[in-house]
Amino acid sequence: MKKSLLVKVWILLVLLTILSALVSNNSSHYNYIIAIIIGFSMVKFLGISFFFMELKKAHSFWKTAVIVYVLLFLTIAILIF
Amino acid sequence: MSVQQVNEKSIYYPPGGILLWILIFLELITFGAALVAMMVYGKQEPEMFHASRLHLNTTIGTINTIALITSGFFMALSVQYFKEKNLKKSSLFLKLTMLGGVLFLVLKGFEYYEKVEAGLTIGYNTFFTFYWLLTLFHVIHLLVGLVILLFMQHDLNKNKTNANLEDIEASAAFWHMCDLIWLLIFPVIYLIF
Repeated sequence: MKKSLLVKVWILLVLLTILSALVSNNSSHYNYIIAIIIGFSMVKFLGISFFFMELKKAHSFWKTAVIVYVLLFLTIAILIF
Repeated sequence: MSVQQVNEKSIYYPPGGILLWILIFLELITFGAALVAMMVYGKQEPEMFHASRLHLNTTIGTINTIALITSGFFMALSVQYFKEKNLKKSSLFLKLTMLGGVLFLVLKGFEYYEKVEAGLTIGYNTFFTFYWLLTLFHVIHLLVGLVILLFMQHDLNKNKTNANLEDIEASAAFWHMCDLIWLLIFPVIYLIF
């Protein structure tokens, strides 16, 4: 994994974290806000798995398993709210 | 030192090893199920969950998230430098990784102190029961991760011939697992209610 790519991913993850905190202060469109916050978190989850943990290079089974987990968690959260 | 590569495209050799990935999925499913339960309870008592969430310091939660993400970034760099046989930089970034973990624990300790002082303990209400259980279990994982990283640091410093890539990758995978768990906990506890 190229170090410059890791730096870009890290910057994206930090920006998404700050954005999530800012978005959470918005009290209107409650359901959309929740979907956005959980969605950002799942993007960060994939960023760490695929780039920091180098799952990008792994067998497709492991990549699929992580993506299924993320989609499942996001869907359940959206269904609950 | 051994930087011998395994066939990463094989289903049996994900980065960190298959056993660790089985553990990672078990942990993610356990924490995920607990967080789903919390969301269900939160939907049933939205006012209480909202009022309780306001007792938490979102700024500290955000700083902690950034600290863990940055720590994970340093861990990834440490593995990269190890693969390039640059042990000096690998060791430096491993130390920075641990520093990120310690910063997280210090801030968490401060947050816990504030909650206990305010009487917001585990039995205060449903929200705080979930808060204490989930965050404390996560802290325990982080402490175990720090001990593992200390052993890796020891291997890198004192006995370079013993450090090998599989050990480093497995330690890194465990540390990143703590990041992943926190990325699930942070939005549910600190942001959405």
